[in-house]
Amino acid sequence: MHGTDLQIAICGSAGDGTIAAGDILKRTMALMGYKVIAFDLYPAEIRGFGKCIARVRVSSEQAYSLKHHSDVLVSLHDGHAIPHVGEVRDFGAVIFDDAPIARVAEGGHMSAHVRPAQIPYGASLRAISEQASGNARGRNIAALGYLAGLYDIPPEAFQQTIMRKFAGKPEAVTEANMQAFDAGYDVGAGVFKLDDVTMEPPSYQAEGARAVMMTGNGATVRGLLDAGIECFFGYPITPATSIMERLAQEMPLRGARLLQTEDEISAIAATIGAGYAGARAATATSGPGLALMAEMLGLGVMAEVPSVIVVSQRGGPSTGMPTKTEQSDLNMAVFGASGDAQRIVLAPTNVEGCYRCAGKAFELAERHQTPVIVLLDLYLSNRYETVIPPKTNPFAPKPFEGPSVGGGPFRRFAETPTNVSPRALPGQAGGVHTITGLEHNELGRPSDLPEMHAAMSRKRHEKLIAATEHPGLTVAKRFGDEGPVPVGILGWGSTFGEILEAMFAAQAEGLPCTAMKVVMLSPLPLEHIEAFFADCTHVLVPELNYEGQFAQLICGATGKPVTRLTRATGTPMQVEDILSEVRRLAATGQPSEGETDERGLEASLS
Amino acid sequence: MNADWKPVYLEEKLTEIRADGHQGYRSRSLPTWCPGCGYFSMSEGFTIALREMGIAPENVVVVSGIGCASRFPFFVNTYGFHTLHGRTLPVATGIKQANDGLTVVAVGGDGDAFAIGAGHIPHAARRNVDITYLVFDNGIYGLTKGQTSPTSELGFKTSTSPYENGDMPLNPLMMLLSYRASWVGQAYAGRPHHLADMIARAIAHRGFSYLHILSPCVTFDKTTRTYANLDIQVCDVPDDHDRADLMAAMAMAESSDYPALGVFYEEQRPTLGDVMEEIGRRARSVPIHGGVIAAE
Ligand SMILES: Cc1ncc(C[n+]2csc(CCOP(=O)(O)OP(=O)(O)O)c2C)c(N)n1
Ligand code: SF4
Ligand SMILES: [Mg+2]
Repeated sequence: MHGTDLQIAICGSAGDGTIAAGDILKRTMALMGYKVIAFDLYPAEIRGFGKCIARVRVSSEQAYSLKHHSDVLVSLHDGHAIPHVGEVRDFGAVIFDDAPIARVAEGGHMSAHVRPAQIPYGASLRAISEQASGNARGRNIAALGYLAGLYDIPPEAFQQTIMRKFAGKPEAVTEANMQAFDAGYDVGAGVFKLDDVTMEPPSYQAEGARAVMMTGNGATVRGLLDAGIECFFGYPITPATSIMERLAQEMPLRGARLLQTEDEISAIAATIGAGYAGARAATATSGPGLALMAEMLGLGVMAEVPSVIVVSQRGGPSTGMPTKTEQSDLNMAVFGASGDAQRIVLAPTNVEGCYRCAGKAFELAERHQTPVIVLLDLYLSNRYETVIPPKTNPFAPKPFEGPSVGGGPFRRFAETPTNVSPRALPGQAGGVHTITGLEHNELGRPSDLPEMHAAMSRKRHEKLIAATEHPGLTVAKRFGDEGPVPVGILGWGSTFGEILEAMFAAQAEGLPCTAMKVVMLSPLPLEHIEAFFADCTHVLVPELNYEGQFAQLICGATGKPVTRLTRATGTPMQVEDILSEVRRLAATGQPSEGETDERGLEASLS
Repeated sequence: MNADWKPVYLEEKLTEIRADGHQGYRSRSLPTWCPGCGYFSMSEGFTIALREMGIAPENVVVVSGIGCASRFPFFVNTYGFHTLHGRTLPVATGIKQANDGLTVVAVGGDGDAFAIGAGHIPHAARRNVDITYLVFDNGIYGLTKGQTSPTSELGFKTSTSPYENGDMPLNPLMMLLSYRASWVGQAYAGRPHHLADMIARAIAHRGFSYLHILSPCVTFDKTTRTYANLDIQVCDVPDDHDRADLMAAMAMAESSDYPALGVFYEEQRPTLGDVMEEIGRRARSVPIHGGVIAAE
C-alpha cells in the first residue's frame, strides 16, 4: 500500500474517556505530520451511559471524508462497541478488554463477536491501568499505549500530547496517565501482530510543522477574528455554541465585544443594530434559532444593513436531533423571511472553507449591504481536519463609509450603477437618515407606490448578482475528469467530502467522473452550474435531508433533471452509497427522463 | 384642565414646522399622526430636550418598533432606525455596543413594549444598557386601528374585546422597577413642558432610563385614557420622595389610579459598556489560555 491511510474508531460509554482518547490520538497524529480527519459521535444527554464513538482517519495524502470501514476498533465498552464490529474491515483489528468480568450476559463480551477475518486483541486494559497508576480511570490511555505499541508508533509524540492535554490538572493526574500509557505501550509492543494495518512515516513533515488541527467551528472563529469581528451576539444552541464560547475568550483580548443575548431574535437584532452603526458584527445559531431570526433577516434585507449569521444545521424539524447532523435548513437559509428577501448564503465544504467563508462573509455583507448566512452543519462544525493556516491575512479591512459632501438630505438608497447605495454611519455629520423595514424611497421615507416597490425590489435583487464574483472566494469548483462525462456529482456543504472520495473511487474503477461543489447557494453561480450540466449526462445530487432541498433549488434554477440521493438518518453520507449510484447511472447510459428519486435510508453507521 | 397645556392641531403644527424648517432637529417629513394625538408632544419634547442639552443631531440615533408611536424617527432630523414590532431594545443595544459615543433613544408604544417586545425589557434594564427608552402608553393598539393592549383597562371595549377586556392590565412602572432599571420616571403628553424636561433628564442619566409617557389615542379611545380623564387623575411625584428608595418607588407605582408624574427611581451602577471594558481589561491581564488559538 502506498503511504498511510487508516481509520481508528474508539467506542465506549459516556464517562469512559472515549472522546478524550480520540482527541489525544488525533492531535498526536497531526503533531507527527499526518493529515487527519476526525469526527466524534456522542449522546445528547450530559450524564448517563450513552454511546460515544471517536473516529480518526490518519493519512499521508489529503483525505476528504471519513472512510466507510475502520481499520481498527478499540472497545472501551463492549455493549456499545459490539454493533460496530461490522465496520472493521477484513484483516483489521479489534482491541478490547479481555478482563474476565464476573457477570457478563451471554454474548456480552467482545470476544464472541469478532468475525473470522478480523484480528482480535484482548488486552487487560483495566488491569494495566490499575497496576501502573493504582487507578482504573487510565484505561482509555492504556488503550492508546497499547495501540502505539502494537503499531510501533513512537511514544514521544503521544507523551507530548498527553502532557498538553492534562496541563493545568494536578501533576498526579498527568503522572497517572503517563504511567498508564507507558504500561499499555509495553504490553502492546510485546504482542505478536497478525493484522495487516500499517503506518508509514508521514510524508509532509515540512508543512506538518505549520499544520493545526481545527474543527469547522474553530476555523469559523478564526475566520471571524482574522476578518476583525467587533461585535458578536448569540444564544447558546448545539452545534453552534462552541463558536460563541471560543469567541468569548478571544474577542475581549482584541477589544471586541461579545454579548449573550436573551434569545436569537435579540441576537440578530443586535447584530443588525451593530452593523447599522458600522461594526463588523455576527451571530451564530442552529436551525431553531434561524427560524426565530427570519423576521429580522427580512429587516436586514429591506433596510440594507450588513450582518453575518453563522448557522450550523442539526437534525430537524423542531428541536429534532441536537447532536446529529443534517443538511435540512437550506430552504430556510436561502428563502426564510417574509417577502422577496434575497440574501447571500455561503456553504463551505470543509474546515478550511469555514475559515474562508466566515471572513469573506463580512466583505460580502459590507459590499452588498445585506445579511450573509454561513451555513454549516454539525458534521462540519465538529469534525477535525488538519489545516495549514494562511501566512498572511486573506481578508480585506472594512471599507470607509461616509456621506459624500454636498447639500440636501442624505440619499441612503440612491440609485447607482451597481445598485449599492452610499452608506453613512451614525455619528457622521451630513449623513443623517432613517432606515426602515417599510418599503421606502431613495431617502428611506416610507413609500408604497407601485413603481417604487418595483424599483426597490429590483435594486435589492440585482445588487447581489455581482456577489458570485468576489475576490478570493471560490463560489463553485469542479473536480475530476474534464469534458463530457456520463456522471457528474453536484454537492454542497459537509457532504462534499464523501462526494470527492466517491468520485476518486469511481475513477479508480475506470468510470470517468466529475464533481462540483457549490459554495454560494444564494445567489447561485449559475454559469458554473450550467457548464457542469452541459458536460454531464447524469447529474447526481447527494445530500443529507429527506426532500432533496439542494436538488430542488438546482432544478428550479436550471430547469434540468437531476438524480437525488438523499439520506435522513442524522449521520453523514456514505461514500459507498454515492459510488453505487454513480455505477448505476453510468450503466444506464441514457439521460434520465425526469427527476428520479433515490433515497438512501438504510441503517446508519452509528 | 391643565394650565400649561393646549390641544395641538395639525394646521398649527404645519405652520410651526414650516417656520422651523428642516434645520435643527425636525425632519422634512410631516407627522402622520391624527390631529390631537398625544404623540405630537413627544416630537416637541424630544426636540426641545436635544436642543437644550446641545447634542448634535448626527450623534443621536432614534430606534423604534412598529406602531403609531414608532413612526417617530421619521419626524426628527437625527439618525433613525424604524425596526420591527417589539424589537427596539435589542437593536438599540447592538448600536450602543458598536459605538458607545452615540446617544441612543428607543421609542415604542405599549403593545410594542409590553406585548411582543416584553421579553427584551428585563434584559436591557438589568444590563443597564446606556440608552433611553420612551414608551408611549395609550392603552391601545393605535396603528392597527384600536385593539386591546396589555395596558388596556379592565372593562375596556375594543374591536378585539367587544364584550369588554377581562385581562388584568400590566403595571409597566412596577415591572421596570423590579427589573432594576437604573432610572424610572413618568410623564404625560398633556404636560408637554414637563415631558420635555423628563426626556432631557432621562437622556442625561448614565445607564438604562425608562420614561413612561401617558398619551391619549384620540381616535380609538373616546372613553378611558382621554385628556379629560388623565387631566384629573395625574398628580406630581411628591417633593419629599427619595429617588434612591426602591420600595417607595414601588409603592408609588402601585397606585396607578392616580399616576404620579416625575422621577420615581434613580441609581448609578456600571453600564453594559463599563462591563465590556472591564471584561477586556481582565482578558488582557489574565488570558484564559495562551491568547492564540493554535489548535483546539
Ligand atoms: C410581527 C408583527 N405582528 C403584528 C404587527 C401589526 N402591528 C403593527 S403595530 C401593532 C400594535 C401597535 O400598538 P402599540 O405598540 O401600542 O403602538 P401605537 O400604535 O398604539 O402607538 C401591531 C399589532 C406587526 N407589524 N408585526
Ligand atoms: S390612531 Fe391614536 S395613537 Fe395613532 S396617531 Fe391616531 S390618535 Fe395617535
Ligand atoms: Mg399603543
